[in-house]
Amino acid sequence: MSRRPEDHAEAAVTKFKDYEVITPPNKLEKAVVHARPSEHYEPDPVARAEQALLTLSNDFAQWMEAECRRLDAARRKVREAGLTDAARDELFRAAHDIKGEAATFGFPLIEPVARSLCRLIEHSPEPARIPLVLLDQHVDGVRAIVHRNAQGNSERKAQVLAERLRQVTEEFLAHENRNRPGYLDEVAAPALAPDPSSG
Amino acid sequence: MVRIDFNRLRFLVIDDNAHMRRILRTLLHGFGTREVYEAEDGAAGLEAFTHYSPDIVITDWAMPIFDGLELTQMIRQPGANANPYVPIIMLTGHSEKKRVVAARDAGITEFLAKPISAKALYQRILNIVVNPRPFIKTKTYFGPDRRRNVNPNYVGPDRRKGGKADIIKQQPLLDKAKALT
Repeated sequence: MSRRPEDHAEAAVTKFKDYEVITPPNKLEKAVVHARPSEHYEPDPVARAEQALLTLSNDFAQWMEAECRRLDAARRKVREAGLTDAARDELFRAAHDIKGEAATFGFPLIEPVARSLCRLIEHSPEPARIPLVLLDQHVDGVRAIVHRNAQGNSERKAQVLAERLRQVTEEFLAHENRNRPGYLDEVAAPALAPDPSSG
Repeated sequence: MVRIDFNRLRFLVIDDNAHMRRILRTLLHGFGTREVYEAEDGAAGLEAFTHYSPDIVITDWAMPIFDGLELTQMIRQPGANANPYVPIIMLTGHSEKKRVVAARDAGITEFLAKPISAKALYQRILNIVVNPRPFIKTKTYFGPDRRRNVNPNYVGPDRRKGGKADIIKQQPLLDKAKALT
């Protein structure tokens, strides 16, 4: 694909002793539309996108089933090959994806279980020491909640299960990281995602 | 009133998860974008970036081969590609402070933690388009200005030397006023 005319524009550079401030050509200015309120007749783009997502939502349960199968397959590889780097990465990515998708797909109760599994894998200094039974319990927990979610009658049980898995995982991580003072506090620091609307 | 003509923007979505790519494509089309290109890992993403010259890149962090952080570092190489200034939105399940800081120091433009929402994605894009930030180049950093707010009343040493953004702690105005009374 050929480069567009705006790709060739020059950036303005102001040099200081230790750094440069570069103002690149604003290639996105082409997309800014200044409209009077009376001209704002187009449907709200956010509402339009939400509506589009809604039409997709019929597939979400099926997609979550596929994610569960992927998690189960990754768990089986760990069982067969042990916690090798490749097997561990695969299990982590499967759990991490479920964590990020859970709420979007309408399965918010599995998010804390997937989060706990991610922490277990990511913050164990010696992954080989992670009890396989604890990995199994997380994977089975995710699958059970997904399947029971369809029946819509097990919210309390899911919360209890998630909390128990979280407690056991945190106890294990605290023990495993006992020689890394401050490590878990650092990773437990509250989320910090810049809010673009604040400035 | 400012709005965005999404029809004039070209997006590249890089995520190894096909479901998440489908969701992003759906949201972007919902906003009004027609041109959405996809890649399923960092290596394919870099190739697509060179090929399609997107206006905005949306990338996942955790991906095989090389991840979203490494991809950002490769794009933010002055002189190495057609557009090292391209806005990059890091969309990820990682939301710990340490991760956000690492992404910022790699040169991302906006950070968006999952779960994704149409509103949050729209706000990040709006901010990118309407409030573009200058780039800063030091010996160890090249990327958007990490200081989002400028304090015109700041007096003190200029500490922009290293790779980490300096956090300039300031006495709250109320405390200053109390000290004067």
